[in-house]
Amino acid sequence: MVFVRKMVGESPKKLSSLIDIANIPSSTLRDFLGKSQISCLGCFISVWGYIKTNNLQDPRNKNVVNCDDKLKSILLGKSQVQLAELPRLIKLHFPKKPKLRN
Amino acid sequence: MGKLSSASSSLRKLKKSPLSSFVKPPSSSSSPSQSQRSKSLSPQSSEQRFISAKCNVRSSNKTQFGKHVSSPSTTSLPHPSVTSIPVDIFETSDLEDAKKSFDLLLSKFPDSSRLDYNSILHSFCNVGGDTPTAHRDAVAFLRHMSIHSKSFTPDRSSYHILLVHACLQPDLAAAYQVLDLMSRADFSPTQASVDIVVRSLCTADRVDDACEIVKLFAANHNSPPDQYTYNFLIKCLCKIRTLDTVYGYIQELETNAGIEPNIMTYTILIDSVCRNKNLREASRLLTVLKDRGFQPDCYLYNTILKGYCAMNHCNDIMNVYNEMKSEGIEPDLVTYNTLVFGLAKCRRIDQAMKFLKIMTESGHSPDTVTYTSLMNGMCRNGDALCALELLEVMEENGCEPNECTYSTLVMGLCKGKHLEKGMELLKMMTGAGIKLETSAYATLVRTLVREEKIAEAYGVFDYAIESKSLPDELAFVHLETSLKWLEKWKN
Repeated sequence: MVFVRKMVGESPKKLSSLIDIANIPSSTLRDFLGKSQISCLGCFISVWGYIKTNNLQDPRNKNVVNCDDKLKSILLGKSQVQLAELPRLIKLHFPKKPKLRN
Repeated sequence: MGKLSSASSSLRKLKKSPLSSFVKPPSSSSSPSQSQRSKSLSPQSSEQRFISAKCNVRSSNKTQFGKHVSSPSTTSLPHPSVTSIPVDIFETSDLEDAKKSFDLLLSKFPDSSRLDYNSILHSFCNVGGDTPTAHRDAVAFLRHMSIHSKSFTPDRSSYHILLVHACLQPDLAAAYQVLDLMSRADFSPTQASVDIVVRSLCTADRVDDACEIVKLFAANHNSPPDQYTYNFLIKCLCKIRTLDTVYGYIQELETNAGIEPNIMTYTILIDSVCRNKNLREASRLLTVLKDRGFQPDCYLYNTILKGYCAMNHCNDIMNVYNEMKSEGIEPDLVTYNTLVFGLAKCRRIDQAMKFLKIMTESGHSPDTVTYTSLMNGMCRNGDALCALELLEVMEENGCEPNECTYSTLVMGLCKGKHLEKGMELLKMMTGAGIKLETSAYATLVRTLVREEKIAEAYGVFDYAIESKSLPDELAFVHLETSLKWLEKWKN
């Protein structure tokens, strides 16, 4: 029996929610990025870049990020974040668009 | 094969009349490509180039570049002489302005026979694009040039330029008008004209129009398309229309215009049905073409083999190979590669290895594709370490592994629970700057996340973005999906 799995990222709607440039609703995130508009993907990449440049990963366990004050302000005020939950936390800033009813 | 036929066709056209290369249809639908422009220089003498260069400089001093004019691409050309085509004489598509510019040009160059009129016409057509009046303007401009310059009479390539331009217009009326003009000027359309029209229309995704106009050419102008044009058209038609439509069209051309499909046409048809996984039809076509007295060649059998390989019918693969042998056709490198690929994909590694031996004995040295197919089969069999060993053998034999090879290996190692070896290989790839393929990236990230090596997964994500292996959003989606899975699994 052959299982045909649908390719991840084939849905154009999901992709567009990632790369469409949106106005940033929260002022803290706006201060953090220094921009007023960004895509969800761009936001993720810049936050991850921020973590890398400031060496915020825990030296003992690289999967954990010790947030500094700036980062804390955009990630729900947590002092420690798992790298695994980073995409989910970022996505919280970009609420889903309500479905248009025909 | 299709590419081969079109390439050989353009080569042939070049030999036939050097000027017709000038008006080869644009590779993209927007504006004629640079290669075309550089080709268009070849028939010119060096003096003409010089003059073109002069008027280019003059015009760029005088005018700002219009938005239609692609100045950066012109300047980036390697040869200084190539930049000299006056593509930017005209800054607007306005006819009156163009006439004025042309008269000015004429007055500056007393020796008007050395001007390259066709280039001028071409650049005016480029500026016009597909605005509604552009075609009428282009015809009027040609008339203006021929009236005001004593040394210029429109030749066949002038009309071909107009023809390509007319094919950009939304309906075929413009093209018909140019054909009419050509007939009246005693340049009845030739096979080169048909080729130009068909290729312009097909690249603009107007295959149906191309079919119409080919019928017209065959009926009215007594210039049926040659086999290259015909096959190109059939290939385009196969891509967008159903098989019945294609057969109907072939039949129609055969009865009305006497154009018969040849072995290449059948190869194209078989390729198309194999792509749609309709292998029964492929076998039927094979008998049809034998009935018509064609001898199937190596390319045809390669196409059929490819179809069976895509369907994982390994018994049929062997049958086709044996049939080929019994017909006395010598398999070539592609045949062997297809065979090895198909057999390895069906996990018949031993048989594939046997063919590796056979092909070396018959004088075809296995290349990167062969080895990669073998590795693919081994990895599917869960024998990734064996595949890794094959990599060494391959490098000893002087085959350079490519990104597909590495990606196959990385994927196989990840799936075969040899993550460390996979990461080592990735490090090597990072060092050499080899891109990751999407599937390999996805597997690697998934495996890393499953082992809770999230930081390393982020590292792979970084490399994928840095090396531009796949679109950023796709890389992110794969990472995110894996992480989501992890969270679900943990709770």
